[in-house]
Amino acid sequence: MAAISDVNPFVSAPVGDNAFARITDNVSRIAEVERPPRAWYIAFACALGILSIFLGSIGWVVWTGIGVWGTTMPAAWAFPIVNFVFWIGIGHAGTLISAILFLFRQTWRTAINRFAEAMTIFAVMCAGVFPGIHIGRPWLPYYMLPIPNQMDMWPQFRSPLEWDIFAVSTYATISIVFWYMGMIPDFATFRDRATTFWRRLCYGVVAMGWRGSSRQWHRYERAYLILAALATPLVLSVHSVVSFDFATSQLPGWHTTIFPPYFVAGAIFGGFGMVVMLAVPARQFFGLKRIIQIRHLEVMNKVLIATSLLVGYSYMMEFFVAWYSGNKYEAFTFVNRAFGQYAWSYWAMISCNVLFPQLHWFKAVRTNPIATLIIGMFINVGMWFERFVIICTSLTRDFLPSSWGYFIPTKIDFMTLGGSFGLFFTLFLLFCRYLPMVAMAEVKAFHPSAHAHEPDHPVEHTGQAPVGI
Amino acid sequence: MSDSHEPQASESGPAPLHGLLAEYTTTGDILRASKKVRDAGFSRWDTFTPFPVHGIDRAMGIRMTILPWIVLGAGLTGLGTAILLQWWTNAYDYPWLISGKPLWSIPANVPIMFELTVLIGGVTAFIAMLVLNNLPMPAHPLDQVKRFARATDDRFFLLIEAADPKFDADATRALLDSTRPHAIESILEDRKTSDKLPTGIIYALVIATVASAVPFALAAKARYTKSRSTRIHLIQDMDAQPKYKAQRENPVFADGRSTRVPDPETVAVGELHEDDHFYRGTQNGAFARTFPPTFRVDETAMLRGEQRFGIYCTPCHGFGAEGNGMVAKRAEELAQGTWTPPSNLTDQRIRDMPVGEIFNTITHGIRNMPAYGPQIPTSDRWAIILYLRALERSHAAKIADLAPAERTGL
Amino acid sequence: MATAKKDPKKSPTGTKTGTSAAKAEGAAKKTSEPDDAAARVAVEGFADSIRLGTESSAMFAKAGGLAVVCLAVSAALGASEGDGFKRWSYGYIAAFGVALAITAGSLFWVCLQHLVNAKWSVVVRRIGELFAANMPLLAILALPVVVPVVLGNGVVYEWADKTKVASEEILKHKSGYLNPGFFLVRMLFYFGFWSILARYYLNSSRRQDETGGSEIAPTMTRVSGPAMIAFGLTITFCSIDLFMAVEPRWFSTMFGVYFFASCVLGVHVTLILTLMWLQRRGRLATTITTEHYHDLGKMLFAFVIFWAYIGFSQFMLIWYANLPEETAWFKQRFFGGWGAVSWTLVFGHFVIPFFGLLSRHIKRSKALLAFWCFWMLAMIYIDMYWLVLPAINVEPDVRAMDLLALLGLLSALVAGAAREAGKKNLIPTKDPRLEQSLAFENI
Repeated sequence: MAAISDVNPFVSAPVGDNAFARITDNVSRIAEVERPPRAWYIAFACALGILSIFLGSIGWVVWTGIGVWGTTMPAAWAFPIVNFVFWIGIGHAGTLISAILFLFRQTWRTAINRFAEAMTIFAVMCAGVFPGIHIGRPWLPYYMLPIPNQMDMWPQFRSPLEWDIFAVSTYATISIVFWYMGMIPDFATFRDRATTFWRRLCYGVVAMGWRGSSRQWHRYERAYLILAALATPLVLSVHSVVSFDFATSQLPGWHTTIFPPYFVAGAIFGGFGMVVMLAVPARQFFGLKRIIQIRHLEVMNKVLIATSLLVGYSYMMEFFVAWYSGNKYEAFTFVNRAFGQYAWSYWAMISCNVLFPQLHWFKAVRTNPIATLIIGMFINVGMWFERFVIICTSLTRDFLPSSWGYFIPTKIDFMTLGGSFGLFFTLFLLFCRYLPMVAMAEVKAFHPSAHAHEPDHPVEHTGQAPVGI
Repeated sequence: MSDSHEPQASESGPAPLHGLLAEYTTTGDILRASKKVRDAGFSRWDTFTPFPVHGIDRAMGIRMTILPWIVLGAGLTGLGTAILLQWWTNAYDYPWLISGKPLWSIPANVPIMFELTVLIGGVTAFIAMLVLNNLPMPAHPLDQVKRFARATDDRFFLLIEAADPKFDADATRALLDSTRPHAIESILEDRKTSDKLPTGIIYALVIATVASAVPFALAAKARYTKSRSTRIHLIQDMDAQPKYKAQRENPVFADGRSTRVPDPETVAVGELHEDDHFYRGTQNGAFARTFPPTFRVDETAMLRGEQRFGIYCTPCHGFGAEGNGMVAKRAEELAQGTWTPPSNLTDQRIRDMPVGEIFNTITHGIRNMPAYGPQIPTSDRWAIILYLRALERSHAAKIADLAPAERTGL
Repeated sequence: MATAKKDPKKSPTGTKTGTSAAKAEGAAKKTSEPDDAAARVAVEGFADSIRLGTESSAMFAKAGGLAVVCLAVSAALGASEGDGFKRWSYGYIAAFGVALAITAGSLFWVCLQHLVNAKWSVVVRRIGELFAANMPLLAILALPVVVPVVLGNGVVYEWADKTKVASEEILKHKSGYLNPGFFLVRMLFYFGFWSILARYYLNSSRRQDETGGSEIAPTMTRVSGPAMIAFGLTITFCSIDLFMAVEPRWFSTMFGVYFFASCVLGVHVTLILTLMWLQRRGRLATTITTEHYHDLGKMLFAFVIFWAYIGFSQFMLIWYANLPEETAWFKQRFFGGWGAVSWTLVFGHFVIPFFGLLSRHIKRSKALLAFWCFWMLAMIYIDMYWLVLPAINVEPDVRAMDLLALLGLLSALVAGAAREAGKKNLIPTKDPRLEQSLAFENI
């Protein structure tokens, strides 16, 4: 990393005669600098390469049909749905950080909420691709929407898959609105600092003439609070609805009532894993160590412990009730998960999701960025395997042994999975380059010097400052 | 206190005064100044801050916005829309039974009720915020002031408009002076920047709006008119498949058939069924009256027969083989006239029937009984007949047929 | 955020000026005068009276007396049924569910405040600690449930009866878990662990009052992590053992979470009502502000939604899949007379309080908030009743003994908390976060 920081233009201290100006400078110059660090170019080139694999493999799937995947009976859902649930889960952390932690008055969220929200949107985009191509005829998705058509037919609203359409599109819409609304004041800052015509025009248009009027701030804050209050149950509902896709069925291992909260906990877990995975390099390469501090990583790692335990609790409850219910199929399914043909994926899931994150109980581990990064990666692997275990073990071992099977992914399966990371990282890197990566206005609002109400009294720092500059 | 920036005079003389702008460096200063201006009774004034300053609502006397109520109304609209949409499409306009659920299934409709409530509520919160705030606001007299750029960075500004009834150039300036600002500046109206949209953009918007209605109009037209031409089929889906279907012509073979028959004088492996007695139930051309020698008549076969009979025969013939299975009863209840009742297998006719003939019937079916040959393996068919024979025997049993110990148990 | 606004008026340390002390005293005087002189003694620079004083023993006597009378009458009515306390036991278990929800909820809440290092709640926390400390009392009150099982009497829990277990395959299958011996061991473990944890938190917090040791708060935070894991497991299995096992053929993986939702509702209702009672008695008059009620009200509101989310998910999944062994449980509760109770829950436990608690004005109005707290308390009871009673009653059938059992158990909790409060502080006076809690403001 030392070699890269040689060319990093962000290592110098931010400019400004007061804390607010320094925050502005620290965040804004990431988007203002003419040449981003070399690491950004390298990463962007890699991301574009992977993206082209993604587009190529999707093109191939659409051109030849989904038979090029290993997805076939009995594993009719397999990779595409595993990937869909995986990405939609990643997309939960952003709204969780922006909305739920906002309602819980967790000021540390200001350091990471913006790029977590961006991550949410990009993850939901990646997620949306998979059901889109898995339907086999990606040119007919409008069948799923309630629009009058020549067939005189309407969508089936009693189907959980139809609920998914509404849940995911609502989630995407509200997340974008929430994200964009949060960025308006920061776009205004960019506009006012712009030195070229085009920057001023572009940021000016998206800032919509925001000038920081207090009367506007008043309605803005109210709207933001309401959006947070709406987004909080929304974020719970999205993965709950995804879990309904499974849990409304009668398939052993799918039909269990704990699925909704279990999926939500898993989604938050996976999403936070992705946030720490992105936060560590972002603070390293973009000189944001003053804003995204070790302290923030530590708090996120604590959230990871908590959600890891919630996920572990669900695994345990499923096992216990599989036995307790006295249902032979259910009991078989869980023994089969742990010791059957997909045991390797089950134990990968258990170790990545339940065992490794426990290392964060040690302060030395959870305050170490490298360890944070590695455990974050493990968590993402583990959460992918969780969906794989749920989908593949249950589908390939249902009630009738005559319809048992074994799912074997093909090259194209791996290319679409891997390639989706290309889409994600390309968008994310563009975001880092051109948009405000940190919610400046919020960081300033929670800075100790924003609370110097009575200038006659010295500012008292109660507790640790949310942001150190 | 300096007026560093002198506004430019425009063609038609100096522009009128827009207001007085004071600059502060800390939140404490702007809060104290706001309280002073509020208490002085001004109405057309505002402060500009890089972030929402805690307590400024009270300091400025800003009343609670009606935005929450708008959102509540929008949310309820979303809820109502979802209820109507699901009721109308699934329970009224296109009633379609699925997975045994009622047409109007409220539990299954809850997720979408929730989603639409949030969707419409959330989007409305954003739009209402923009509308109530007069955003987008492309131009503002303050844009002429260089120092005002810091309003989105680190400085706090207070603007009192000249249009305020209490505004008095000197007295107001004195008031602002008393709040110890970092700087005070007079702001003139902006005459250079038009606050209207360029006409080109307006025309473009109008044209775009009209054009966006065209696809919908075409769809509506297609919905209510008839056409003789087939619909345009851009993507061929699976219309063309590289394979030959049964009964289609196939140029590869001389006879032009795509369905092939086995070559003469050939038999598939394991399909050479030479034993007529076992495979066809005949002996020398007549139905056999005995079980084939290759079929072992023992208790295992009897139990197997009972189980297979239970699976394949009871739905129509009933557990006692009396022709009163569930299907038969149901069919009689419906009394549709096309139903041929299943035979009572305990009849004398069947008792006298050679086992070979029964075997033949099971294999090939009779009247509306389908052929079970493809479903039930050969030895199982014999096992079923064996069990049927036992059933018939038990049906005509006398008390004397029982062992003495069993007689008392009755 | 919890705006740590520095407001010298409310500064609890001895540095405050004379005028502000007079102001605070004036505010205290406006409320009804505490009858005990000892309670008026300003502690550590507080103008508020922060001790119950003789009110404690008075309340203990009143509530304790009521509890004894109610439970005795209830039991007598139960005996008069002549069914070997069968009907009475079901009603008692439903009422016990409310008591457990409040007590275990308090323990969870205290643990949570330490876990997340909450600042706003410091002034409220002692109340939670007092109610959590009722755990040993609750263990004694659990005896009417536990003893018959241990004696092998299947009056409520069929699986306690050996002959019944032998006659049914599914009970035989479950007897590895559902058997009297293991049940007793589990109960001892649950209540033992909870009692120790609750006592630990109360004692540590009081030691902090005395010594002000700076190491106490971090230690309590460190304990809260593992304690929370153990709590999550114990409350899950305790709710399965006590409530789900009433109908041993039914099962739901979500059940523990469903009961947990009632626990969190129970503690917030209790905290709000207790604080209101204390303030009426002139205690903590200026310490607890509208802001604290507002925040507690928000949590109440949030968990009204959470309960609906869990309840709906559990119902919808079982309704949708329609598997006989699961759906029978809901069939019993959604058809016939119980259907009305179910709809009462849908509206009374969710829809009506949702709109009732939506506005911030309501959460900031003491009278309205109190109304919704009593409402939710009633709903928690109806929920418990709906969980347990359909197992014995084909049609809902509320008896005086059920309600007396509820009143008796709740009075016992109040008596226990009042006695525990004694003459000691009602707020943790030396908690390092106290100042922020006093100055807390909602956005």
